[in-house]
Amino acid sequence: MTEHERGSLQELMAGLAHELYTPLGAIRSNRDVLQRVIARLSDILADEAVEEDEVEQIRGLVKTLDEVVEVDQLAVDMITDLVASVRDHGRTDEAIKRSVDLHEGLESTLLLLGHELKHRIEVVKEYSDLPRVECFPSQLNQVFTNLLLNASQAIADEGTITIRSYAAAGDVVVEISDTGSGIAPQDLERVFDVGFTTKPTPSGIGLGLGICREIVERQGGRIEVESRVGEGSTFRVILPVGAGEASAAR
Amino acid sequence: MSEKNTTVLIVDDEEMVTTALRSFLQLETSYRVLTFNSPLEALESTDLEWIDVVVADFMMPEMDGITFLKAVRERRPEVTRILLTGYADKENAIRAINEAGLYYYLEKPWDNDHLQLVLRNGAERTALFRELDAKVSELESAHDDLAGIRERLIRALL
Repeated sequence: MTEHERGSLQELMAGLAHELYTPLGAIRSNRDVLQRVIARLSDILADEAVEEDEVEQIRGLVKTLDEVVEVDQLAVDMITDLVASVRDHGRTDEAIKRSVDLHEGLESTLLLLGHELKHRIEVVKEYSDLPRVECFPSQLNQVFTNLLLNASQAIADEGTITIRSYAAAGDVVVEISDTGSGIAPQDLERVFDVGFTTKPTPSGIGLGLGICREIVERQGGRIEVESRVGEGSTFRVILPVGAGEASAAR
Repeated sequence: MSEKNTTVLIVDDEEMVTTALRSFLQLETSYRVLTFNSPLEALESTDLEWIDVVVADFMMPEMDGITFLKAVRERRPEVTRILLTGYADKENAIRAINEAGLYYYLEKPWDNDHLQLVLRNGAERTALFRELDAKVSELESAHDDLAGIRERLIRALL
């Protein structure tokens, strides 16, 4: 891992940590509320007889317990999803091809980038039915992460990222378009060169488009770019369905 | 000022946060608690409701917490403003203090006892502010009365 990649990863992890504080905040507060409710119930039940007004109190406490359980469930689900997205991205040593639903990879990437995209960028999804693709999923997720981060960083303030997917002539295509600053024509030819960057400071996930291209080509696919300065860019990942179709049918 | 007459408004785009806070405050305090998941709706309610303390999340759709608290300050300067955020960076903390006249900066995950104390002090601050405001108005009106008397006296004597 290069210095550049490490810095970017740290940034992504910091964003994720912040994202986790929301469900953790709810769970921490609820744990405290549970303790207080238990103390109240114990107090009420300490007497031999339960009075009429105490029954009313118990009803109120049970309602609080209901809320706590419901919120904790939502919070735990949110944490589980966030951790799963990290796990899916972390498997860099994965050596076996798997039959993959590309939409799952895109969704998990979007979840991981929530902090980066939230409230600033509208993500439009135009997904078509796709056959499963035989590939190295975690590597592909890193390509998606990189393309989505680049798209997000190309948008200075607010904008839209459109993710389009479709199947065409034995290939599956994932297009990621942004309404950002676009790439100058003289840079367009070089964006896939390893190590090429126009960013003043390292701020992306750090794989760089060069490595993205290597990953996609290693899986028998290709990556294309179209861009207009001031209008935005579209990156297109084209992958052969390959043995994926057979495995999906199995 | 009793808790019963105190209204706390909470805005966070995550319902799990507003529900958790409401569960706690209803259990341990007698504040009237208003919760919103949209800052715009919350802002509208500040025109209609009696509010003493506002607690706002930072990262929200529509507007961020600092912009929200700044808008509350413009409408109701006496209301105590608290930011409750998981995005605790120094730059935003300074911005919140300078732009929104922040009373307290709370970080997620928060501690309920601490939150309760901050709310109690915040409500007291608002009450004192209002009391002071009322006294100043009284003084101003007394001053006007005196000026009127003085004018009448001068006229009567001349």
